[in-house]
Amino acid sequence: MTTLFGIFLLTLLMITGMAIVHTRNLFVAVMLMGIASLLIAASFFLLDAADVALTEAAIGAGISTVLFLGALALTSERERKRRRSLSTSSLLQFGIVGVVALIVIWATFDQPRLGSPSAPVQAHLTPWYIESTRDLIDIPNAVTAVLASFRGYDTLGEVVVVFTAGVGVLFLLGTGASSRAAGAPLSEDNAGLRHYLIPRILGRLLIPFILLLGFYVQFHGEYGPGGGFQAGAIIAASVILYALLEGEQRALSVIPQGVLLAMMAGGTLLFGAVGVAGIVLGSNFLDYSVLSEDPVNGQHWGILLIEMGIGITVAGVLISIFHAFAARATA
Amino acid sequence: MYFAAILATLVTMALALLRAVRGPTVYDRVLAVNMFGTKTVLLLAALAFLFGRPDFLDLVLVYALINFIGVFAVLEFFRYRAMRARQGQVEAQRE
Repeated sequence: MTTLFGIFLLTLLMITGMAIVHTRNLFVAVMLMGIASLLIAASFFLLDAADVALTEAAIGAGISTVLFLGALALTSERERKRRRSLSTSSLLQFGIVGVVALIVIWATFDQPRLGSPSAPVQAHLTPWYIESTRDLIDIPNAVTAVLASFRGYDTLGEVVVVFTAGVGVLFLLGTGASSRAAGAPLSEDNAGLRHYLIPRILGRLLIPFILLLGFYVQFHGEYGPGGGFQAGAIIAASVILYALLEGEQRALSVIPQGVLLAMMAGGTLLFGAVGVAGIVLGSNFLDYSVLSEDPVNGQHWGILLIEMGIGITVAGVLISIFHAFAARATA
Repeated sequence: MYFAAILATLVTMALALLRAVRGPTVYDRVLAVNMFGTKTVLLLAALAFLFGRPDFLDLVLVYALINFIGVFAVLEFFRYRAMRARQGQVEAQRE
């Protein structure tokens, strides 16, 4: 039954993907990307991967459409018409892609079936993680235990990647300070959707609840699906909603650019500092057991702190990127 | 019972996708995407109960709360486009 649903969702996903490639209208492509993200999240959910589905939900539903439209506002809505003739080089490209795809499909025959109990990962690694989560960390959500503690190095790497990506985007687009001074921005009264009744009421009503949900996901990550990455995205979504309603300038005066930059760097530093604290207290990098008298309690503290670091960095990066696009559009 | 609900939702999702792909106007597509989001909320909620994991409803809550932000972004996008076009006209007349 689950297989049936999965095949149905993946078929829809394939249709959506082909439509995205096929369309020349970039606005339509953005809309279809939104659908693709929803389908991917539903597929993750079907595979029982609630944490990943939550990430896809938070990013795909709230943020990526906004950022794509922000980029689209800076460029043309239609893709330029390309020559559609089959030359030898395009045939060659097609041939190479086809051959590589066949090789990869052939390689999958050797793979253990999805979810097969005799697969190496199920035979050794997964039981170890599940048992050790109970014995060493004692939190219900094993995904959070793996992400934050057992594989803390990887997660630190991910946070640094998010931070680096944010810095990269800000280098390309600028933080907006200089371009805003130079160009004549759209007048302050015109900014935002607050003159329209339904968006205004709906937005003002929902922003506090979205923030609350963000903090719930942040601090409930040890017990249910969620954690810093998802919470950061949800909190960023609520700030972006505020910016859409009240205009980008108002949002910037609530959380100024400097604070956002400090959040980007500060969250990553907090994660690193928790790791270093492990060394200072006489154990290994990112070993939280020494943070408290009781090793299990220390793990709880460590996970709480690094999840906070992740959330702060992700929220800072996403809001900064949004402002970078919005500043370019109004300048 | 959940099975029937899920099946009905999946069929509706397919129809919404058809409208999003076929168009023809922008409004069809915006509406289709918005509807697709709502159907995803329903699908995930029904699936959570079918699997007997109602704690996964957190995920549904996320969609229910932030799905409409994309639609607001679309509204702002078109408003911005219209405003830019008007500004361009004014500047062209001045010259």
